[in-house]
Amino acid sequence: MVIMAISLAGWFVPMGYHAFGHVYLLAVIFLSLRVGRWPVLFAAVMSAVAWDYVFIPPRLSFSTLDLEDDAILGTYFVSALIAGQLTARIRAQEQAERRREQRASALLRLTRALTEARSFDEAVAASLRQIDELFGARTALLLADPRTGLQPHPAGTFSLHERERAVADWVGRHGREAGRGTGELATAEALHVPLSRAGAVLGVLVVALPAGESPGTPELRELLAAFAAQIALTAEREHLRAAAERQALLAESDRLHRTLLDSVSHELKTPLAVLRAAAENLGVEDAARRGALAGEIRTATARLERLVANLLDQTRLESGAVRPQLDWCDARDLVSVARRAVGDALAGRPVKVEIPPGLPLFRADARLMEQVFTNLLLNAALHTPPGTPVTLSAGVDEARSRIFVAVADRGPGVAPEMRAHLFEKFHRGPGARAGGVGLGLSIVHGLMRAQGGGIEADSPPGGGARFTVSLPLAAPDPIPHDHE
Amino acid sequence: MKTPSGKAEILVVDDELQLRRLLRFTLEDAGYDVREADAGHRALVEVAHRRPDAVILDLGLPDMSGVEVLKRLREWTVLPVLILSVLDDEGSKIAGLDAGADDYLAKPFGGGELLARLRALLRRIQSAESVDRIRFGAIEVDLVARRVTKAGQPVKLTAREYALLRMLVVHRDKVLTHRQILSELWGPKAENQTHYLRVFMMRLRQKIEADPDDPRHLQTESGIGYRLVSEPS
Repeated sequence: MVIMAISLAGWFVPMGYHAFGHVYLLAVIFLSLRVGRWPVLFAAVMSAVAWDYVFIPPRLSFSTLDLEDDAILGTYFVSALIAGQLTARIRAQEQAERRREQRASALLRLTRALTEARSFDEAVAASLRQIDELFGARTALLLADPRTGLQPHPAGTFSLHERERAVADWVGRHGREAGRGTGELATAEALHVPLSRAGAVLGVLVVALPAGESPGTPELRELLAAFAAQIALTAEREHLRAAAERQALLAESDRLHRTLLDSVSHELKTPLAVLRAAAENLGVEDAARRGALAGEIRTATARLERLVANLLDQTRLESGAVRPQLDWCDARDLVSVARRAVGDALAGRPVKVEIPPGLPLFRADARLMEQVFTNLLLNAALHTPPGTPVTLSAGVDEARSRIFVAVADRGPGVAPEMRAHLFEKFHRGPGARAGGVGLGLSIVHGLMRAQGGGIEADSPPGGGARFTVSLPLAAPDPIPHDHE
Repeated sequence: MKTPSGKAEILVVDDELQLRRLLRFTLEDAGYDVREADAGHRALVEVAHRRPDAVILDLGLPDMSGVEVLKRLREWTVLPVLILSVLDDEGSKIAGLDAGADDYLAKPFGGGELLARLRALLRRIQSAESVDRIRFGAIEVDLVARRVTKAGQPVKLTAREYALLRMLVVHRDKVLTHRQILSELWGPKAENQTHYLRVFMMRLRQKIEADPDDPRHLQTESGIGYRLVSEPS
């Protein structure tokens, strides 16, 4: 094109034909800065031909008039060829240099992203985004799962249909790359690179390049392999971490089961033993003795009832069977119902209720809230000496966005190091008295969470333990006007 | 129907033999005559033939649900029914009360509690005819003059507050569900506006109760409704 333009322009420009030889040469050198080796060669040939045909007398003929012109044409052709090839080589070198640099910095960015990521998922997402950006590609990462085989990671931008999936599975089995641009299964749309560590395939990186781009270039393949190696390293670390965590969990659940068995069997057997002994002795004549035995039976059944209720609640919470029915609640009302439910268990502990008038209603499940306050009151009864007061107070935060209800006692309080484990199941305070398995607070915690609320424990100045439950506030519909 | 001995007769409907035996023991000890039924159909037949004074009905029966038994009973009789349910089965409890049960007890329950509830139900039936003045604690409600006094002093109530109190008084010692109260006082469209009830109950307690923070008469049944306890224990 350039050569044709020059030829056309030259037709109208009154200039000696030698000068045009230099213009052509310049054009070829400029071209070599832009295009590859073969197009430059082609341009050199074409320009020589064009020059001869258009400018060298006789014009519009391939023949020349004298030997001098032949020599000039010959040397032009050779110089155009050499100049063009030299510039093209320099350019190719420079391009290779730039690619190396790009690759190095891409790898650097990837490594940084991987080390900065706070979780494995974040690391995967970051590295896939890097590949997407760098190649303008869509990517997917499949991770090997011992039970379900290769599973796509949700951060992928390329969803695998059946054929690609089959290619990925092949790569997973053979540990060699396959797909477009490779020797294996080359009809696939994407390039599939295995993530291998120590002979094991941890996953498959799937890269779908844009339609025009050839995945065949060794640089690109090398770069992708380097990426795959980095991701494989991260995946391996994740595997090890997950395995360690599973081990720890297993040990923990083992410990929990032992604690559960120990404490539950103790808590079940004690009242059962009491019941049995009392029943066998009921035959005695003495009415006063019989009355005492009936009292023992009542106490034992109350204890059994509470334990069974707690175990059922905990099971329901864990299996997700607790579905709160949120409705408008009045803190004053809930507190009074809970006090009634606790009944004699608070024996001798005066209860002070400090609820300001005009406290707004809030959405919660009244039954669950009653249980929350009952458990907190029982907890206070369990951990404080008789005679110490229990205070129930309520309030809202400044923005009127949350309501708080607190149960405070004047007992020994909660040691700071205990607070972290306070709401864990089967966790019991040091020196806790008989009559519990450490479920009460864990249930309270679960019930509050199920209702979208929370619970916190602290020791206010002045001593004792304080449990504060909180729930979000919302304004109810207005109430129809009422008249006297 | 009073038996020849003049004792009130109670029908116990439960499929657990041991529970029936213990209930018989408790009730006979308290001076009632006891009939038993171990299934829903038996219960319906017993009620039709014996006309007991009250029914204690377990909600979990082998042949049909207790709620179904209740619905069929309510087609022709208003006799007091006390339902028994397992703890925390709020759904069937409310369904039972909405279907016309007068009260409920959650298993496990104490004998004393059962007898107190039963006495209250029988008392209400006996005095149901044309009582226009009802007293509980220091409160007197004159249903004809629409006047409420507390220790002889008149209590000023708004129209809705009075309507709420009146409904509770008329059905005293019976659990009224949120839905029952809301649809009677505000119409069927307001059945879910529980906050109306919370607010009015709060106001009513402030005017009626000695200690609104520890109400003795206007009691809340968590997640279910309210009850006016005429003679708190």
